[in-house]
This record gives sequence, C-alpha cells and structure tokens, in this order.
Amino acid sequence: MKILSFLSFAFIIILLFSSCKKENVTPIEDHKDILFDLSHNIILKTYENLYNETEQLRIAADKLKVNQNQENLELARQAWRNARDPWEQSEGFLFGPVDQKGIDPSIDSWPVNQTDLDAVLKSPNTLTKEYIDGLDGTLKGFHTIEYLLFGENSSKSITEFTQRQFEYLSACTESLHGATESLYFSWDEDHQNFINYVINAGQTGNTIYPSQKSALEELVNGMVVIADEVANGKINEPYSQLNINLEESRFSRNSKKDFADNIRSIKNIYTGSYLGVDGNGISEIIKSKSSTLDLRAITEINEAILAIENIPGTFTEAIFNSKPEIENAQLKVRKLQQTLEAEILPIISNL
Amino acid sequence: MKIQYFYFILTLVFISSCNKDNPILKEDEDINLGGETTINTSFIKIFQQPAPNLSATELDFHRKADIAFGDIFVTSPSTINPGLGPIFNQNSCESCHVSNGKSPFPLNPDDLRGLLMRVSLPGNDAIGEPNILPGFGRQLQTKAVFGKAPEGKMSWQEIEMVKNYLDGTSITLRQLKFNIENPYISLPPNIHFSARIAPAIIGLGLLEAIDENDILSFADPDDKNQDGISARPNYGWDYKAQKKTLGRFGWKAAQPNLLQQTAAAYNNDMGITSPYFSQESSYGQTQFDGNTDDPEISEETLKAATFYSQSLAVPKRRNWNDPTVKRGKILFSELNCSSCHRPKYITGQHPEFSFLSNQTIFPYTDLLLHDMGNELSDNRPDFDASGNEWRTPPLWGVGLTKTVGGHTNFLHDGRARSLEEAIMWHGGEAEKSKEDYRKLPKSDREAVVKFLESL
Repeated sequence: MKILSFLSFAFIIILLFSSCKKENVTPIEDHKDILFDLSHNIILKTYENLYNETEQLRIAADKLKVNQNQENLELARQAWRNARDPWEQSEGFLFGPVDQKGIDPSIDSWPVNQTDLDAVLKSPNTLTKEYIDGLDGTLKGFHTIEYLLFGENSSKSITEFTQRQFEYLSACTESLHGATESLYFSWDEDHQNFINYVINAGQTGNTIYPSQKSALEELVNGMVVIADEVANGKINEPYSQLNINLEESRFSRNSKKDFADNIRSIKNIYTGSYLGVDGNGISEIIKSKSSTLDLRAITEINEAILAIENIPGTFTEAIFNSKPEIENAQLKVRKLQQTLEAEILPIISNL
Repeated sequence: MKIQYFYFILTLVFISSCNKDNPILKEDEDINLGGETTINTSFIKIFQQPAPNLSATELDFHRKADIAFGDIFVTSPSTINPGLGPIFNQNSCESCHVSNGKSPFPLNPDDLRGLLMRVSLPGNDAIGEPNILPGFGRQLQTKAVFGKAPEGKMSWQEIEMVKNYLDGTSITLRQLKFNIENPYISLPPNIHFSARIAPAIIGLGLLEAIDENDILSFADPDDKNQDGISARPNYGWDYKAQKKTLGRFGWKAAQPNLLQQTAAAYNNDMGITSPYFSQESSYGQTQFDGNTDDPEISEETLKAATFYSQSLAVPKRRNWNDPTVKRGKILFSELNCSSCHRPKYITGQHPEFSFLSNQTIFPYTDLLLHDMGNELSDNRPDFDASGNEWRTPPLWGVGLTKTVGGHTNFLHDGRARSLEEAIMWHGGEAEKSKEDYRKLPKSDREAVVKFLESL
C-alpha cells in the first residue's frame, strides 16, 4: 500500500513538474517592440512625410500659379518628385485606412482620364479644392498632377501652360494634400488611431488583429504583394507588351525611382530602419531563426534596388534598348519575392 | 397491414428529411470552410489571397487576373483602358469590391462606394427579366463622363426602429427609405427600384461548382415538409445558352454563372462592353455615345477578371474551439438557421477548373430564395424571385467583415450595422428562428454572434 501510494504521489509530482516544465520551454514570444517600431518609425513616419511633402507641393503649385516662370515650374516638378518618394515607399504596406476609407483612388489612380481632363479644362467650371475632391480619382492625385506638370513627353515648357492648367494644378495639389491628411490622421494616435490596432495586436478587443502573428503576416504579405507588383506588373506590363502607355510614371520619367522606392518600402519594413532611425523590423524574427536567411534577404533587397537603378536611361527608353538590364531587375525582384513568400512568410505563419 | 407499413415508411422518410433539413455538424468538421482552397490566417488582406491549391499555371493566371481586376477605366479615346461610361457607377472592379470584401454602407450619397440601385418598370419581359425602365435601363448610373449627366442621385432616409428582446433589453434597427433625386429625365410613376450593396467575392468559384441537383434537392417550393420554410430556386436567363437557368449569384440569385455576372458588372457598373454584353448600357438612350468601339474589353480580359473571383482563397474558421463559439454553433442549428444557411456541400465537377471540384465546403447557404418578410422586401420581383424573396447569402468570411472592410454593415442594402441587427431583420420564413433568437438570454444571443464571427 505504502509503495503504491508513494508511487502515485511521485507520479503526480512528475506530472505536475513536467507540465510546468513544458510551459517554460515554449514561452510565447512577444513581438510588440517590432510592431511598435514598424508602425511608428516606418508607417506613421512615411505617412507624415507624405503629408508634409504634399503640402510643399501645394505651396509650389500655388507659387507657380502666381509667378508663372520656368524656375517655379522646375521647383514644382521637384516638389512632385519629393512627394512621390514617401508614397512609393508606403506601397509595401497598403492596408487599412488607405483602402477601407477609399483614400487610395484620390492619391494614386492610374491612368489619367486625359479626355475628361481636357474637357474640364475647357469648361467654365470654377476650379477649387472642393470641385476637384468631387471628381473621380483619374482626374486628380499624383498622376493627374504629373501629367499637367511634365506633359505627355516630359518636355512641356512653361509657355505651353494655360491659365486654367495653373488653376487646376493649384486646386488639385490642395486636394491631394487633403487626401494625404486623411491618410496620416487615420493612423495617427491623436486622431483616428488606426496604429493602435497594429501596436496592440493580439490584445483582447482588437477587432482587426487577433494575434501579433496576424499583424506580422499582414506586414510580410504587404512586402510580397509589392514585390509581385513591381516585377510582374509595373515592369512587366510595359516591357512585355513594348507599350510605353502602360508605364506608370512615364510623364515625369520617375518610373525607375518609383520601382526602387517600392523595394525600399520592403527594406524599411524588413530592417526597421527609415531615414536614419533604426528600430526593430521583421529581420529580428528571421535572424533568431536563421541568420543566413536574414543576411540573404537583406542582400536580395539591396540587389533588387541596385538592379533597378542600373537600368540605363529612362525606363521608357530602356523598354526598347535595355532588355538584359530590365530582365535582370525583374529577376532580382522576383527572387526577392520568392524568398519573402516561400521562406520568410512561412516563418511568420509558424510563430 | 400494407397501409400501416406504408405509413411507417412515410414516417421514416419524414424523420430523415427533418434531419436533412437541420444538419448538425461535428464541432470541428467545418473549420476548413473552403476545403482545399482554405488558408489559415487572419489579416486585412485575407480576401485577396490566391487559393493554395492552384497549380503553378493557375497561380500565374490568378496574378495576371488580379491586374485585370484592378484596372481603372477612363473615357475614350485613351491609349490605355478606354471605354468608361458614358454613364457608370464606378471605374474599376475594386472600387466596389474594396479588398474583395463587402462594401460598407456609404457615409453620404456623394460617395456611394459599392452601393447601387436596380431600376425597372413593373412586369417582366419575354425572358422573365424585370421590364427595362425606358431612358434608364436596368440600373441607375450615378456617375457620368464629363459632359454627360448622371442618371440620378441616390438618396435615403434613415429611420430607427426599436425591437425588444424577451429579457427586457432592446436593439435599434436602421430602416432605409431610398429615393432617386435629380433624375436626368423625368421618371415615370410606379417604378420599381432596389438598392444593392457589393458583396464579398471569396468562394464564388466553389459555389459555381456545387452540383445543380444538390441545390435543387433542398428546394421545397410548396413547403411539403411543413417547416414553414419554402426554399425556391430562381431561374435567371443564361444569355449565352439563351435559356432559363438556375441562378446562383446576386442578392436574388438571378445570375446563373460568374462569367455572366462579371460581364454584367462591367456593362452596367462601369459602362464597359465585352464580347458577352457588347451593347452599351446606355444604348437607345439619349446619352449613348454612338462609338463603334465595342467590345471595349476582350474575351481574355473578361475571363481573367472572372477567374480572379473564382480562384481566391477562403479563410479558415477562427476560435472554433472557444466554448462560447461552440455553444453558438449548437444554437445556430437549434434555431433552425442552418435549414437555409445550409452548411455543407461536396462540390461537383467544375466545368473549367479542377481545383474547385470535389471540395468539401461549408458556405452556409442553400443558394435558394426565401420570403424574408415585408420589412426586408424591395417590392421588386426579379425573374422568379418575388419582392419579399432573397437568396440566402453565404456566411463564410462573414466574421472577417470588420477586419477586411473596417465596418460591420450587412444585408442586401447594408442597413444592418452589426450581425445582431442582421439577425433581427430576419422575418417571413425566418420569423420563427428570429423569434426564438429574440427569446434567448443575452449570453446565448451573444454566443450565436460569436459563432458567426468565427466564420
């Protein structure tokens, strides 16, 4: 009897001990630092820059309307490029308010509805921000402004502008700034605070992200999607069909910069670094599982950016003249996409 | 003796048909809602993932199709994506199907998102479709290219209605009274109109792959089993086959297949003609553009956009093992919700894509029509569907509406502001289920909602 009760006592102790031990062996990893850094230092910061740069663009377009000279035109064009930069660097995380609130079409609709734009310009309608706000996305946002500033062949001179075009640009840049304000404020803690969903993923009552894993999957999925879009959409459509009309930022000759900035968007989320501020990124998780994969991912990101930048001349020219360089860029971006999709995403999904 | 034997058999048949009418699933049986097209994750872009069982070629096609689905159309002439309008509702598929989820109810009539209005005159034409409203066609196009007039503007009044639960608490429902403002030409009296909101587009290929006989086996038009529920098939018109065909898609199941559904959306929603519907929606109206550029998209583009909707992944259930969710699932069955929101099917052979065939799926719909009562009625018959009848909408993915779309608007016009409100709108054949739900204690009502949120 004594032996039996001793045995059962020992058995219970062992059971208790082993179950305790089991819990200690597999603690749930906390990734709040990563989610906090990425949403603050990358996402919100990018949207803040976009908001500030579109304000500069609005100011430049106003200045151009008042003093219609080549110098102010060049300044407005540079302001457009400066504002385009954070937008393209946001395309690796095109989720949340940008879609849910229907903001994207007001910022980045493509192509431009040139037929209707010409008709609006010829009409007597008063061109105000409110009027532009009410138009379809293909009559406003980055590409409409680009078309007006740079012209069909990127060679528009100040003498080719009409007074109505200056007025349209002024109202349209104000409308764009308004859209970027909606976007920035949607995320900002002091306004609609969408950022809270990402930072506090997995906490009770979070109706978007039931776990930190799901928020991290969102971020990695965003990287996969933009890599796919650059390789198989933005580069491939105009290149494979030899059709310059399919090139997105053709008027400004900014396409290569667009593509590279899209990959920088991946880099920012992966590394957790943006504009000199270093934080935690997806890399932290990957590094802890496989330092080789982590290093390879960073190399592939850098190689993809380099390959895009190494395409000679403008992208429009390169479609016809630089087959090997374009195909090399596509190859590098596809390789990155493959790594993100087949190796990095599964690690996140198995957290 | 023989007669007694006959009655005995009859009783057995009734018992077995009762079981068939109220299927009870094992608690974990339905976690992979879309069979092998299911993905196990949950984030905002969840409805935009390709089905995991696509072949490499199909995945390639899906990605090309994704581009077609996102294409934005502009006014002709244009070197790229021409053909928009002249009258339209939105300029791309994605404008209504944002992130492929259900559209939110609009905040104001100037930004309708995925809300539109079907219009007609009373009565049917030769093929059984509601009579065209002269000068307007089948749909109120609320936008137009520059220089043309929108056909009109949608407006609505919101009326709050209080409904009481048996436990003394209550819920406020939002009734919507729609109207058409500023029509571009005068409207005749007594027109029929019906507001419809864009649904989520996941799992559509699987619904297309369900064997027609399986759907019809649940039809009970004369309510022979006397359960108060008459499930009726709608026979819409297959424009290609030129015959009446079982409808599966749309809020009243008037569309027989996804190719036609997609072609009709291009045509009516965007003013884009295709080889399927090669005549402009404005044809015969004063605003017809008279262009000879039709069809404005190729067969290839139409098929690509269709394939995109056929090849999306269905999300796995979440929290299915939670005790409250399990309780809710039992209640869902006990309340008889599952006689119309029929859980399980094994798909037949899809005519084109094998990844959709022989899949064990759990869409929670019978794809049949049910009288949902006067309060939900749009008073606008559509083929064989009466004003009161609506197709049971599938429930897979319904719990991700907030995640994907940032809202919780439900039902055909988006009037319900929560799943609970949507339940409380049920009437007609679903009156008894709704009444039984109304009588439940709060914790049980919440459990039912928790179950729905797990789908």
